[in-house]
Amino acid sequence: MSTPTAVAARGLVKTYAADGVPVRAVDGIDLVVEVGETVSVMGPSGCGKSTLLHLLGGLERPDAGEIVLDGRRVDGLSETAWAVLRRRTLGFVFQAFNLVDELTAVENVELPALLVGAPSRRARRRAFELMERLGVADRAGHLPGRLSGGERQRVAVARALINGPRLILADEPTGNLDSRATAEILRLFADLGRSGQSLLVVSHDARVASTADRLLTMRDGAIVGHTRLDAGSPGALLAEMAGLPDLGGPGPRGGEH
Amino acid sequence: MGSVRLAAHLAWRNIRRRPAQAALILLTLTMATGMFSVGIALYGSADGPWDRVWKATDGFHVSASYYRQGDLARTGTDLTEVRHKFAELAAAPGVRAVGGPWLQLVQGRLDVAHGGYEDLTAEVRGPGRSLVDQPLVTEGSWLAPASEGIVLEQGLAGALHAHPGDRVRIDGQRFTVRGVAMTVSQGRFPLTVPAKVWVTPATANLMRRAGLTAGGIEMQLRLDDPDDAAAFAAAHGDIESSTPTVFLETWRERRAASHSDIDILAGTLLAAGIVVGLLAVATAAVIVAGRMAAQTRQIGTLKAVGVTPWQIVLALLTEHLALAGLATVIGLGAGRLIAPRLAGTSLTVLGDPETPALSGGQVAVVAGVAVVVVVLSTVRPALRGMRHTTLRALATQARPPRRPARLAQLAASAHLPLAGVLGLRSAWRRPSRLLTNAAGLALAVAMIVVAAGLRSSLSRLAAQPTGPGEALSGAAIGTLYQQVRVIVLATAALLLVLGAVNAFIVASFAARDGARAHAMLRAVGATARQTVVSLVVSQSGACLLAVAVGIPLGLGLWQLIDGGDLPPVAVPGSALALVAVAVPLVFAAAVSLPAWRLAHRPVATALAYE
Repeated sequence: MSTPTAVAARGLVKTYAADGVPVRAVDGIDLVVEVGETVSVMGPSGCGKSTLLHLLGGLERPDAGEIVLDGRRVDGLSETAWAVLRRRTLGFVFQAFNLVDELTAVENVELPALLVGAPSRRARRRAFELMERLGVADRAGHLPGRLSGGERQRVAVARALINGPRLILADEPTGNLDSRATAEILRLFADLGRSGQSLLVVSHDARVASTADRLLTMRDGAIVGHTRLDAGSPGALLAEMAGLPDLGGPGPRGGEH
Repeated sequence: MGSVRLAAHLAWRNIRRRPAQAALILLTLTMATGMFSVGIALYGSADGPWDRVWKATDGFHVSASYYRQGDLARTGTDLTEVRHKFAELAAAPGVRAVGGPWLQLVQGRLDVAHGGYEDLTAEVRGPGRSLVDQPLVTEGSWLAPASEGIVLEQGLAGALHAHPGDRVRIDGQRFTVRGVAMTVSQGRFPLTVPAKVWVTPATANLMRRAGLTAGGIEMQLRLDDPDDAAAFAAAHGDIESSTPTVFLETWRERRAASHSDIDILAGTLLAAGIVVGLLAVATAAVIVAGRMAAQTRQIGTLKAVGVTPWQIVLALLTEHLALAGLATVIGLGAGRLIAPRLAGTSLTVLGDPETPALSGGQVAVVAGVAVVVVVLSTVRPALRGMRHTTLRALATQARPPRRPARLAQLAASAHLPLAGVLGLRSAWRRPSRLLTNAAGLALAVAMIVVAAGLRSSLSRLAAQPTGPGEALSGAAIGTLYQQVRVIVLATAALLLVLGAVNAFIVASFAARDGARAHAMLRAVGATARQTVVSLVVSQSGACLLAVAVGIPLGLGLWQLIDGGDLPPVAVPGSALALVAVAVPLVFAAAVSLPAWRLAHRPVATALAYE
């Protein structure tokens, strides 16, 4: 029996013009993320990791290829349909946090819930629950400008989780964080996997990659490496230790598939 | 590179990089300079033709007139005393030639084709040529001995569409039109009433029998030096203060009064030019402030490599002064082109209007308008941008909120739509830009209110029945008010367009400022429409403020204008309600355009937007 798929992509292509010369940021990528699976994408700067994530989340349109989300072909959806889909099915976490400056922390978190039409009281209650779980409930009434980087990212994670999306897309989620905040986020991601939500995380950070079930390596817009990180491997152990402030240690290891 | 050369280089680069913004500033400046230029050119354009007619008719330097109620011959008036006074004037030192005295037959009734009658005065002239004030015949011929024909004043002939050979009826009697003539001693019908004809003594006798009465006497004097006219009138002031009273008027006084409709048009245009100029300040200020905000990082870079703050301000001023120069040239050109056409519609110009030669003063006034607009709009935002430290400029951001907006909290607790609440949250991130925008819009709203008041006042005027003896002049005067109405309505429309353009510019900058925030919202599931609504709501404060301030301001201005020749009419409530509804709708449409364009960019691109 095959495992249900959270997201699948076939032959994804995205080309940009750089100084008039077309550059393939994503060059025919095939990808499957199963339900409950955590997949890390690593690679050098400019290899197309973020573009891949943006394509899968409908933040950009592919030039070619198919995207199937939750069993439904979505690459041809309109902007509005993508927006509605993102509310319920996807959660985004960005390196730059991307919290709305004008909204308080709790308002940022409850925003996707309000967008799906949840009653405001229920949305607020759910937002507080998540923020409590993430340790930022005491910062609920603060504007993002008054929060530390780690707090902002935890608020962003809470916002990504509030509608219980099946897939979380995280783009360099620890890129702007210090070691302690990185550790907090890694622990959260580890929890996500345990709760059955799928996670596709793009990162330079080996510590982040080590929390995944699988590691994809990208270069020049294509996936060039595919590694499964088994339970008990150094990567998985690193994940277990993710709560520690100073992780360091080696990168992921495992058998090539 | 010297400061000026560097400033010129940067200015030229900026104009080439942002041609649309430069074109917009140029357009608003040109509207202001154009209106001023037309107004100024119009003021003088009636003098040339008047002077021409004055010379051609051996026009008077001092005019003496005596009028009284009733027939001079039957009311026992001391005509001997009047004649003595006229003789005294004619013999006064400095008088070179005398025209008249000529008897004025008054209370004539000229039948008008479509019904009713027009009051008429007939001046009794000898058939020969007068040394002073001999009317210039433009059609047909002058009075002849033993002729019963009459000569019509040109404005009257135009209003009647009468030509030599036609017959007109005065007090039941028919008279043949012998000619059409003009003179400066008689203002042009219909601004000067009653209408005037010239008749021989023989025709005058016929008219007197028909019912016209001898109501006055006029005499025209030419002096050795026309510049002595005022002194001459002053020296004979006692003639005006004793009984029977003879009134004196100099040629300059008559010339100033002769083109009153041109003055009204010119005055309206100058007032419109001032208002458009103020709005041009708002437009240019909004553009400059927006650009300074957008270019703060670039300014920081320039400062970091050693360009001084003053060189940056100089560059901005150079750029806008160049635009002001161009606007002055275009505005003056437009003035020279439009003013004669506008003056040609005048009711009072004698002959073809001619635009006076361009004077240094005119150029200075028009250029001054453009320069003042540029300096007012450029210096403040430029100085503000300059004051930023280099480091702060390099890390520019829109002003972050310091605390959640209370209004938005209230809106949220009232369960208003989410997009609206989000818009309220970001409403005051650029308060000075919002206020500048509101000020520009408020001017437009005020002008629309004034236009609405004028419209209803003129409508009432048009609906008023013309008085007895005004069957022709009443309708003709309406033409003047119609011209004024067109100018005011056109100015109001122009201001509304400029206000909408302002709103569009501000919204474009706001959309750019909010691009990332809106992309964030879309990333978590807000639709493009919701982000557009959010932006419109965030900008709507300016519009609401403009309506709240603009309507009372317009009503106040209307109160000030009221009390002139127009019937006093309150601005209709329906018009105010329409303004209160239509202006926000136009504003919302203008604001939603840039927001809509931005909302349809890919989210990832917008998230990377700076």
